[in-house]
Amino acid sequence: MPVQEPGRRLMHHVHLKFVKKRVSGGNHRSTNASLSLTSMIDFLVVTVVFLLMTFSASNETPVSKGVNLPKAENTLDMIDAPIVAVSGSQVMVDGAPAGNTRAIEDAKRMQRIDEVFNILKSKRELWKQTHPGKEFPAVVVLQVDQEVQAVVVKSVFQTAAFAGYPNVSFMVNVLPKTAH
Amino acid sequence: MIPMIDLLMVTISFLLITAVWSHMARLNADAQVPGPPRPTDEIDKVPPEKQLHIEMRSPEKFVLIWKQSGTVISTVDVPRKDVIQMEGSVRVVRFPDLAAKITTEWNSVGTHKDATDKKFDQAILHTDNETPYGAIVGVIDAVYQIHRPLQTPSGKIESLPAFNMTFSVN
Repeated sequence: MPVQEPGRRLMHHVHLKFVKKRVSGGNHRSTNASLSLTSMIDFLVVTVVFLLMTFSASNETPVSKGVNLPKAENTLDMIDAPIVAVSGSQVMVDGAPAGNTRAIEDAKRMQRIDEVFNILKSKRELWKQTHPGKEFPAVVVLQVDQEVQAVVVKSVFQTAAFAGYPNVSFMVNVLPKTAH
Repeated sequence: MIPMIDLLMVTISFLLITAVWSHMARLNADAQVPGPPRPTDEIDKVPPEKQLHIEMRSPEKFVLIWKQSGTVISTVDVPRKDVIQMEGSVRVVRFPDLAAKITTEWNSVGTHKDATDKKFDQAILHTDNETPYGAIVGVIDAVYQIHRPLQTPSGKIESLPAFNMTFSVN
């Protein structure tokens, strides 16, 4: 194949004059646009580097609707454990409804939340059956709105402890560390 | 050139699909829950350790109490100054004065400071029933701000929180 002069080739096999005219630009701007490869590759590389730096291997933990989590600086990484969420007066364990906190808010007194207790207890028994001979981690994660009163937090905390989960982690959003 | 651009495009697509934009974390706490007496259980005789009790019952002050097996060693009042800042829709409450005072107290009274010491000092948080959860997290965050060195089994020195936190449900 003979070496040909470089130039536009697109649509040149179409033997229609108006097509050739249009492709080559005619009286207007050409429909072919050139792209600077260097700039495009620079952009792609910068995007890849940014995404790699922000990449996290751990899964995103779903946050229940209406829950405004508090923020903290000195945190630990999330772990795989049952999540007890308190949103408004609704309580959920791993996304499933597990009673409400209205009675606690009205009485302003700590109470055991029976639905939460039963679900956590059954989860504990299931874990022990599926992991025979292993030590039970006994960790539960609390996902609580920042405006919820301490009496509700204490009630959920106490219920979890009674159900066999004395190690409680409070889920928070991460704040960037400041120099102290 | 074309394979390289293809690779970059595929990498960008993968990273965008698997990207996690909100980073969750946790603050650890043990429960101190009243329970029924267990007279049949054998109790291991361990020497009682000093514990830092943080009383958060008054809106004006925190009370830091060092206790050893029920005996009060020292009591310090810390004026409560809530430093509030808005992070989007979240109201972040911080207690820098409390963190500074706990650091001073731990430096003078704390017992587990050596890098080879595997134990941690114990802090117990007591709150009233009306305190908002955001403020509780602020106090726990202030306690976890104090760090100490700890030698790992591989010999590496890591910086870890000086206190093990317990949330009192009494």
